[in-house]
Amino acid sequence: MDFRFTEDQQDLIEAAKTVFDGENTLERMRGIVAGNPPIGLWKQFADLGLFGILASEENDGLSQPLVVMAGIAEAAGYAGLPEPYVDVAGIVVPLLSQLKETELLEKVISGEISLGLITPLSPHVNCGEWCDHFIITSKSGGRCVARSEVTLEPRNSIDPLRWLYKADLQGEQNELADMHGAVLTAAQLIGLSMRMVEMSVEYAKDRHQFGKPIGSFQAVKHQLANVHTQIEFTRPIIHLAALKGGAAVHNAKIAAIDTAMLAAETAIQVHGGMGYTYEVDLHLFMKRAWALCGDWGDRHYHMKKLEDYVLNGGANLGPGETFKGET
Amino acid sequence: MDISYTSEQKTFRAEVRDWLAVHAPKSRLPSFDTAEGFELHREWEHTLATDKWGNVNWPVEYGGRGLDLVSWLIFEEEYYRADAPLRVSQNGIFLLAPTIMEYGTQAQKARFLPPMASGEEIWAQAWSEPGAGSDMAAIRTKAVKDGDHYVITGQKTWSSRAVFADWCFALVRTEAGSERHKGLSKILVPLDSPGLTRRPIAQLDGDPGFAELFFDEVRVPAENLLGPEHGGWGVAMATAGFERGLLLRSPARFQAAAARLVKLYQQHKDRLSGGVGEQVIHAWMNTERFCAATYQLVSRVQAGASISSESSANKLFWSDLDRHMHRTAMSIMGAQAELEDGLDAIDNGRWLDGYMFSLAGPIYAGTNEIQRNILAERVLGLPRK
Repeated sequence: MDFRFTEDQQDLIEAAKTVFDGENTLERMRGIVAGNPPIGLWKQFADLGLFGILASEENDGLSQPLVVMAGIAEAAGYAGLPEPYVDVAGIVVPLLSQLKETELLEKVISGEISLGLITPLSPHVNCGEWCDHFIITSKSGGRCVARSEVTLEPRNSIDPLRWLYKADLQGEQNELADMHGAVLTAAQLIGLSMRMVEMSVEYAKDRHQFGKPIGSFQAVKHQLANVHTQIEFTRPIIHLAALKGGAAVHNAKIAAIDTAMLAAETAIQVHGGMGYTYEVDLHLFMKRAWALCGDWGDRHYHMKKLEDYVLNGGANLGPGETFKGET
Repeated sequence: MDISYTSEQKTFRAEVRDWLAVHAPKSRLPSFDTAEGFELHREWEHTLATDKWGNVNWPVEYGGRGLDLVSWLIFEEEYYRADAPLRVSQNGIFLLAPTIMEYGTQAQKARFLPPMASGEEIWAQAWSEPGAGSDMAAIRTKAVKDGDHYVITGQKTWSSRAVFADWCFALVRTEAGSERHKGLSKILVPLDSPGLTRRPIAQLDGDPGFAELFFDEVRVPAENLLGPEHGGWGVAMATAGFERGLLLRSPARFQAAAARLVKLYQQHKDRLSGGVGEQVIHAWMNTERFCAATYQLVSRVQAGASISSESSANKLFWSDLDRHMHRTAMSIMGAQAELEDGLDAIDNGRWLDGYMFSLAGPIYAGTNEIQRNILAERVLGLPRK
């Protein structure tokens, strides 16, 4: 029992974080909002091997467990990355491996192409216009179709850094995709929550009223301390979900949704009127949080799963069960 | 990351389970806030200690098994799974003992730890004063050096279990004229000392769970000083870290309650409105989150990290989840919720007891408001003024 990242895993996550934070600056994000193209970092991610985190070594991957991808997803959330990197590296890549689509897999890992998912729990394809192929998920796996076989219609997200499309085809739920999707979305939500707290702390240190920084007032401090506490008690259940699957996945996604919504609402309150505008960058992270709360299973989807597990099922609950294998 | 138990840990779990199946009391003991209940709990501590189950993570020489913190978590899981009695010696074994191990002299370790482990000496905490609650640095009780003794005069309050306990660990002002965090010391005081008067305070349940302690020139040998003279604040903060942090409330206690809450819900669900099920699920979710976070914290501590401000987040999380869980139970029980015991009282009033106690959670061990200040200033970096 050592419920920590190994040093190598930690280094890998840190390396990804350095790239995300270093490249996806607030300035870049503002530029994209103003019309610059969004997926400019794709090749750079590929050069660093970031698409191969979950791929096997024979496919030039790093063969890491999902929990490492969760650590990287948290960093991507924190950075507010507009590229659909997490879904591609965390879901598309393992699905392609499972489907033995070696050729497409190589192209995705090398950053040559991007590939979208047509799947029920994530009904909008982010950056669909830039996809070369799509996986239409099914219970047993799915099938790959070329861009030309799919008609995409744009949808407008409130998040100015998401370019959503609705496909004219439908997939079925897929266990791997749904599990990875929920865990990695939860991890991004925690990263976003951390960023929103950090921005609020900076704002509250800077903004003076009554002759003092507003961050010196307990009314402000306590709200931010509450969000911090929720973040610290959500990350470990996400890691557990990544390692163990099962009910922890639903717990993790719901906990992350509740934490992110609390973080967003607290952050805008601390920013006051400024938070309600494009004058500060908070909205970029807040809107991403809103979007991801409903992606890969909304609150009700995951809560219904827990209704079955906790209230109606014969599951063993109570002390000593948390780290046992799913029954 | 590795979340599997070793085969030794699995064997250990089975051993704990087997022992508890034989030895744990078959019915709940009366509250340890009554004279009768206190002595029955003391006997239970003795039973635990006899087979070395009282403090599995303590060194062997002081009555422990020298096991790591993961084993301690396993022990706690089995302990609450067996619904074994609450620990009447909790202030001693969970709070004072780690402090003695860190700051005590060899003589103090040998003198105090074994009888603490056996239940022969039960400890109470004597920190708060009428004028020093959240503002603990306002402590006024003084200890004046007189030869090889300290002479203590002043008043302490909210001292849990001090009505029936044997010793207290007091935080007092040893340096005349000192202010705030400076000049304080931690001194170990027998509660039957001449000049020390205990006044029981009835808690919400009517039992004398607290005492007010009046010190009227109480003489204590100077060797009862724990840690550096005038350096008691630092010693006390270490204790507070253990208290809020890891040891006082392990996840198992709450996980056991969550499993009982699910059963309570299932028994009553036909008359409940829709939202309650989600509250029950939430209670369970929170206990699982607390458990995952505790294992992660334990993993870090075992790798050499020390617990600092994260203990404040810990305390906020468990006290909130406990209150929410018991509030949910109270809501499920409806008109039966007020029944304290006897006929028609569900589970003989256990949820009501638990609800009342859960209201103390956000107050003791440093109020949740103080914890939020600590997090905001020391972790998030918000300005003090």
